[in-house]
Amino acid sequence: MRYLRKVLLLLMLFVGGSAFAQNTFTVDAPRVVGADEIFRVVYTADGEISDFVNPTVTGAEILAGPSPSRMQSTQIINGQRTERLEISYTFILRPTGEGIAKISPASATIGKKVYTTKEISIEVVKGEAQQGGQQSSQAEATGNAPAGQRSSQGEISAKDVFLKLSFSKTKVVKGEPIIATLKLYTRVPIAGFEDIRFPVFDGFWSQEIETPQNINFVRENVDGQIYNSAVLRKYMLLPQQTGDVTVKPAEMICQVQVRTTPSGGRSIFDDFFDSGYQIVKKRINSGQATIKVSSLPAGAPASFGQGVGEFSLDVKLSRDSVKAHEAGSLVVTVKGSGNLNLIEAPKVELPADFELYDMKTSNNYSYGVNGIQGSKTFEYPFIPRSEGVFEIPPVEYSYYDVKSNRYVTLKSLPVAVKVTKGDNVVSGGSLIQGVSKQAVASLGEDIRYILQGGAGFSAKGRFFVGSVLYFVVLALIVAAYAAVYQFLRRRAKLRGDVVRTRNRKANKVARKRLKLAEQYMQQNLRSPFYEEMHKALLGYISDKLAIQFADMQRDTIKETMEAKKVSKGNIEEFMQLLEDCEMARYSMDGGAGEMSAQYAKAIAVISNLEGEL
Amino acid sequence: MNHKIKYVFVALCLMIAVNLSANSNGLLWNSANDAYSMGQYETALNDYLKIEENGVHSYKLYYNIGNAYYKTGSMGKAILYYEKALKLNPAGEDAKTNLQIARLQTLDKIEVVPEFILSTWIKEIRNMISSNGWAYVSVALFAVVALLMLLFKFAPTTGQRKFSFVMACIVFLFAIFAVIFAANLRANANSEDEAIVMVPVSNVKSAPNATGNNLFILHEGSKVEILEEAGKWCRIEISDGRQGWMQMNDVEVI
Repeated sequence: MRYLRKVLLLLMLFVGGSAFAQNTFTVDAPRVVGADEIFRVVYTADGEISDFVNPTVTGAEILAGPSPSRMQSTQIINGQRTERLEISYTFILRPTGEGIAKISPASATIGKKVYTTKEISIEVVKGEAQQGGQQSSQAEATGNAPAGQRSSQGEISAKDVFLKLSFSKTKVVKGEPIIATLKLYTRVPIAGFEDIRFPVFDGFWSQEIETPQNINFVRENVDGQIYNSAVLRKYMLLPQQTGDVTVKPAEMICQVQVRTTPSGGRSIFDDFFDSGYQIVKKRINSGQATIKVSSLPAGAPASFGQGVGEFSLDVKLSRDSVKAHEAGSLVVTVKGSGNLNLIEAPKVELPADFELYDMKTSNNYSYGVNGIQGSKTFEYPFIPRSEGVFEIPPVEYSYYDVKSNRYVTLKSLPVAVKVTKGDNVVSGGSLIQGVSKQAVASLGEDIRYILQGGAGFSAKGRFFVGSVLYFVVLALIVAAYAAVYQFLRRRAKLRGDVVRTRNRKANKVARKRLKLAEQYMQQNLRSPFYEEMHKALLGYISDKLAIQFADMQRDTIKETMEAKKVSKGNIEEFMQLLEDCEMARYSMDGGAGEMSAQYAKAIAVISNLEGEL
Repeated sequence: MNHKIKYVFVALCLMIAVNLSANSNGLLWNSANDAYSMGQYETALNDYLKIEENGVHSYKLYYNIGNAYYKTGSMGKAILYYEKALKLNPAGEDAKTNLQIARLQTLDKIEVVPEFILSTWIKEIRNMISSNGWAYVSVALFAVVALLMLLFKFAPTTGQRKFSFVMACIVFLFAIFAVIFAANLRANANSEDEAIVMVPVSNVKSAPNATGNNLFILHEGSKVEILEEAGKWCRIEISDGRQGWMQMNDVEVI
């Protein structure tokens, strides 16, 4: 229950608060009045005033008031009913002398809340008395400008209506913002304008910051005269050239209303059919203005970004930790007032492995009286290509401080970026084309499976070639070669292979020796055949055994052969053949068959001996 | 007498120890392979590395370590071990394939200076089998030379002898080449002049100190050739011919 009450109370408070907030209490008074002028000060509230506290007035006397008035209106639009209540208290005052008339704050209680107005200062000048104290109300540019009228007619002097182009500063440095205000001052009623030419700001970057649709005339004191003034245009200028820069003046033709008929002889019909006013055209000109623009002093720091004014720097990351191959960005914000729109981007240095992309700029500033105020944000998108903790070095940025007339360098703190391991390289959406192409190719691929089975471990650094084992194996091969060679050679000797191999040669020798004998055999000359055989055999053996032909005795031949280790069979065969030949030389028996048999025998014997000797 | 017994005992113990370690290596090998097949790559990797710590190596071991590193996402290490495997057995087709796949994941794409075509061919032939393979081939060829020489000595006809002599010369030449290849591969495997970058990013500087100018950066998995070492720094060359100084900690020798 108590809880519910609390809620209700809160709700009521809230509703009440919002209800109170709707109320307003304002004061309306002219800014400048003539010394003899009677004027009004009106306090207006949009709610029932329960207690109105009068202001105290100094410098003016209260002729009447406060006189309350009440206005209530009800509107029904599309069945929606809005009620409006306006309660006003009007004072009629007259200045007591030139100077400033002050009206202290008045307060009123609306509902349960007390509202207080501001203190008002009213300038009192020595001007002509004007009718209708309140003249600051709105007037359409084309409509009647309820201005103070001059009694004289026809001639409009340059003092009656003029244009004024004023600058906030006339001595500036290049890039320093200036506010230029184009104002129309008039003392005569104006019916309209023609052929308006606004000033041309050559050598400046200019931006209109106020272009009122309606011209609001405000009373203003110019050299002791009350004028109605209106702001036509307000410009923000940023000098781009140095030297004396002239501004081409603004020009316009004013249609001024001039009373035509003398105030005396006016009939009622004249009043009815003729307004009694004539339009006179008056060309007015704001006059040339010159602005001295000095160039920025020399010695600008390297990080100078053409900024003139007063700035601060803020460097941060869009995210503290970024995944590898994903985009992050470094956000550099330059805040302050000055030529924000023309400043250049600060240079940032990213770690070597970051890919830097095109910088983005976003503006958040407004054109104000102090120049361009707000911030300019530079966003540097990057993609880190590998993981780790990186440090972005401090960003430096310099500007020219107009107030202290020197360059100021701002330096941010270093920013740490943590790059975490990225997802699969393939899935990174922000990859550059070439790499992703390459990576996609391996998407369906995987490494081959491990090898199983015997691992075949060996101690590190051990190789077969050059090892002891290797040389042992080589030595074994050589040894095996030698062994087989010996074995084969011995076996060949045993098999007589050696003799056979020599046979061919021996055979040749034998045939050569027995060549003549062969001829005799073919001619069937028995005696010369055997003689030749005998001679050949002896000649051969004497050559082979190096025995003198004279010492050729059977015994010496036999002994020498035995000494040379000729086999016994061969010796005997040789000796037999020698004997046979000797015998056959002198005997006549035996035929051709015997000769050829003996011949073959001789060949065989010589060949055999050749093998053994 | 006592001494002798002691020696015998020590020798016995050593033999047992060697046997045991061989056994434990085999067990580790099997359990690691099982873990890998179940997808427990970290466990498998630990077991493989334990085998390596025991002081043995083999092509298969390095290859499997490379696979385990690849699966756990360490590309630099994977590449290192594939390279190690290929050093032991340059003919390893699996290691070559996996090395290529692992290289796709690295960032650096370094232009390779083209080599003289003949040396490329010779290298290709050399890399067809491992150092030990060439050694076996050379032994076999020397045996053939011996056989042919015997034939030359004892062949029955001149033609056969002439043929076997020419053949023996040719085969001897081949055997010499095989020995050269085997020795060359062994020298390559023992050399420590190549390394893989192990850190995500490494600055290559113009001088062996931290203040040197940055010449270029290398990423994990890139292969460099070590030209010389100076303290904690080494002078490296990459395959397109550029040189610079790098910290030794950033690389691991193959």
